[in-house]
Amino acid sequence: MNNTEKRDLHRRIKNISSLPTIPSVLRRISEIIEKPNVSLTEISNFISNDPALTTKILKMINSAVYGFPGRISLVSHATVLLGLNVIKGLLIGVSVFEIMQKAMVGLWEHSLGCAVTAKLIAQRKRLNEPEEVYAAGLLHDIGKVILILEYPEEYEKASNEAEAKGVTIYELETNHFIENHATVGAWMSEKWHFPNNLTEVIKYHHNPLRSKYAPMETAIVHLSDILVRARGIGFAGDRFVPAVNPTAFELLEMKEQDIKEILAEMDCLPGITEDFSLS
Amino acid sequence: MIEYHALLHSCLLRGDYEGLTLMKKIYVAELEPGMKLARPVVKDTMVLLRDGTELTGTIIRKIKNMDLNTVYIEAPPDSCVSKDELLINLERRFQNIDHEPYMDMIKRLVQEHIEAFYE
Repeated sequence: MNNTEKRDLHRRIKNISSLPTIPSVLRRISEIIEKPNVSLTEISNFISNDPALTTKILKMINSAVYGFPGRISLVSHATVLLGLNVIKGLLIGVSVFEIMQKAMVGLWEHSLGCAVTAKLIAQRKRLNEPEEVYAAGLLHDIGKVILILEYPEEYEKASNEAEAKGVTIYELETNHFIENHATVGAWMSEKWHFPNNLTEVIKYHHNPLRSKYAPMETAIVHLSDILVRARGIGFAGDRFVPAVNPTAFELLEMKEQDIKEILAEMDCLPGITEDFSLS
Repeated sequence: MIEYHALLHSCLLRGDYEGLTLMKKIYVAELEPGMKLARPVVKDTMVLLRDGTELTGTIIRKIKNMDLNTVYIEAPPDSCVSKDELLINLERRFQNIDHEPYMDMIKRLVQEHIEAFYE
């Protein structure tokens, strides 16, 4: 594809909230998240005004994933505890849950598996904001959702081709769509005014060494993706494990014992048992 | 392809560490009378059906009206995927890996992890 087509793809994706394929919930959420200086109070009110959304958000927060002692029953508490970035991530997570499930069987499990694993590693590395790494894990493949929504048949074709050729779908995406899901996901992340760290993780989770501002977070999600695939949790368009980037792996200083323990902890993936559908 | 997804779903099965029940996650459409819930069915914060509940036609109809995708049912180990199957799948997932740094270790640890389920 040439440059004009590239610009066209970019424009289509940038206008995603006006696409007919996007369910109204995501459209509304997208609108509020796109506001440049949206405040915690605004987001909190937006959620509270929607009983279905409130239930889902509280359910997600109260699922063992976040591990707060006691239940949180007020959205305003949740937003204060988790902060704007995590709440934004959760909102997108909750709203893409259904689309993810419809877009590709197993993509939600893959994403949730990555989120939980990334958080486990982040806690081990004593990162300040493990919840932000969780959100990054949940959203790292958001570009796939967008590509599937926009080009469902073509993506299915690419997925079948990956299966037939025995390669990962990532390796084939640029042949089919000029840009891969990592780049497309980063466009969305910028459009939604996600923090730069999150955009970097989404953009570079296949090339972790290219991350300037969030090398640690990117390496964590990169490794989580590989561990979740290795363990056979979910489905992300192909069933092959790519090789870990050795430099990124070394950056994390993970010992054999760490990996072993993380694999055991992953099996307690609490979120997977929950049903977060918005209907 | 469908069979493959079903397999992936079965890969989500895990025994709890007290060794009491093995469970698997199945689609609501696949429920049959006689199955037992391995985890409670919860709506919002209310427990609607306790774990251990044996399913009847009536209960299955209720569950189908609940707008759930999946539930956990108790499954004896032999009805779950066999160890061999899981290990064959593991080999397949790693088929493109050619002794790249650290990948042999990751594969071995996952293999040991799977084998530990069946001990």
